[in-house]
Amino acid sequence: MNAIAFTGVAKSYGSVRAVEELDLTIDAGSTVALLGPNGAGKSTSIGMLLGLTRPSAGEIRVFGDTPDAAVKQGRVGAMLQDGALVPGMTVREVVSFVRGLYPDPMPLEEILTLANLTDLAGRRADRLSGGQAQRVRFATAIAGAPRLLVLDEPTAAMDVESRRSFWARMREYAASGRTVLFATHYLEEADENADRVIVIARGRVVADGTPQEIKAAVGTGTVRFTIGDQPTAGLDALPGVGAVDVRGSTARLHTTDPDATVRALYATGLRVADLEVKGADLEDAFLSLTHDR
Amino acid sequence: MLRYLGVEIRRMFRDRRFVFFTMAIPVVFYLLWSNTFGKGPGTVGGTGLDARTYLLVSMASFGAVGAALTTTGARLAGERQSGWLRQLQVTPLRPWAVIVVKTLASMFLALPAIILVGLAGVLTQHVHLSPGEWAAMIGLMWLGTLPFAALGTLIGSLVGADAAHPVTLACYFGLSILGGLWMPVDSLPTALRTVSHWLPSNRFARLGWSAAGGHVPAASDGLVLAGWALVLGILAVAAYRRATVRS
Repeated sequence: MNAIAFTGVAKSYGSVRAVEELDLTIDAGSTVALLGPNGAGKSTSIGMLLGLTRPSAGEIRVFGDTPDAAVKQGRVGAMLQDGALVPGMTVREVVSFVRGLYPDPMPLEEILTLANLTDLAGRRADRLSGGQAQRVRFATAIAGAPRLLVLDEPTAAMDVESRRSFWARMREYAASGRTVLFATHYLEEADENADRVIVIARGRVVADGTPQEIKAAVGTGTVRFTIGDQPTAGLDALPGVGAVDVRGSTARLHTTDPDATVRALYATGLRVADLEVKGADLEDAFLSLTHDR
Repeated sequence: MLRYLGVEIRRMFRDRRFVFFTMAIPVVFYLLWSNTFGKGPGTVGGTGLDARTYLLVSMASFGAVGAALTTTGARLAGERQSGWLRQLQVTPLRPWAVIVVKTLASMFLALPAIILVGLAGVLTQHVHLSPGEWAAMIGLMWLGTLPFAALGTLIGSLVGADAAHPVTLACYFGLSILGGLWMPVDSLPTALRTVSHWLPSNRFARLGWSAAGGHVPAASDGLVLAGWALVLGILAVAAYRRATVRS
């Protein structure tokens, strides 16, 4: 069964189209990344999925039900982007309270262990660091043992070490056969933690596939040079190149293997000036993907 | 829902400074007024009560209305803004339950506000009521805080966190003064007296004055209060839903 199905979903705020037209299904049990730059429509899509925002058009189903019904039945847990913690309660009280709202929750100690909160359980939830607060919010998201876990840019406030540990815990939760959907604007996070990556930009799905396929398409690096008025044909056939983006006299090659691309580029006989090799600039890659359409 | 109610009440009482002011202000005002005006002979405004008992009910009403309003509006608006209520929205807890729980929880803070003013009356002003009169007065006044708690949740659902506090205070003082909690309704201009007649705060205090005088309160007082509670409660649930789901 599909855990999530979007059919022709669109959302406008006044004249602004936040989500153009979204058609996608997500299998139960999979871990899916929603990857896209800021303002791509990720949070709006997640808001609609959770019943926090009503779509302007189209239909959303969560385990065959409306989002409201799925949330009401306790099938969904979510970590929202700006969900502050309530003042005046300890970590244990917050988690225990949210846990109690679900029909078939996880044991309290198990939640605290899984979210790495055992040592913080007695602390006031409103007096934690950013990374610690994110752990509490992760705990509240998984507390009800939901079949669908939705995480909206969960590592935004975390340092490198916390991120690594967070994703390990997320994978541990996902391993129990549950469906996880998370939004991120880091290709690495999507690559390392998802079975499937859905890239959205400007409110549309621009790529959808395994992390390997997405990496091949958007590349892991960018080779940029001044091409002038020389012909650009054949650039997309160079080794490693997934997408070519020419603006004015500048060419950008999105590549999975910058070294091989550069070697082959010089072998073409083109006059290459101002060569620059950069790590993946996702923003650019997304734009080139949208241009291709 | 009971668990949520427990959590809310506990959180409220943990805010010590807030609890202190909610409880202390009506007591202080009671002591001030009853020492200034409470010594005179005779009864006040056709209630059959002497001044210090009349003032006791007035200030208990003032305290209860204040507790019900100040524990709801600004808190709810703040929690809406902080995202905590959005977080609760993605749990099985229903939106109407949030309003019901906030309303009931604030009534729990109104109860000690009523009792403390009563205690101050007994200890310092030698107010004497029979146990039955005390029980009737406190019980009725406690139930009577319902429309004010509902009004507070309506304010919290309608306005933002910055505006909630001033709007709450405006409602608080408007209801208190026009409702005759600060001075007898008879001393208001005629036009305002009509307004006062229909205000929940006036009907609320009348419940207390009747009970303290050993009378059965007028059914119309209860009906007006119930009407306000119903209308404000429905509006609060509707406003809360509108505020939380972006359409």
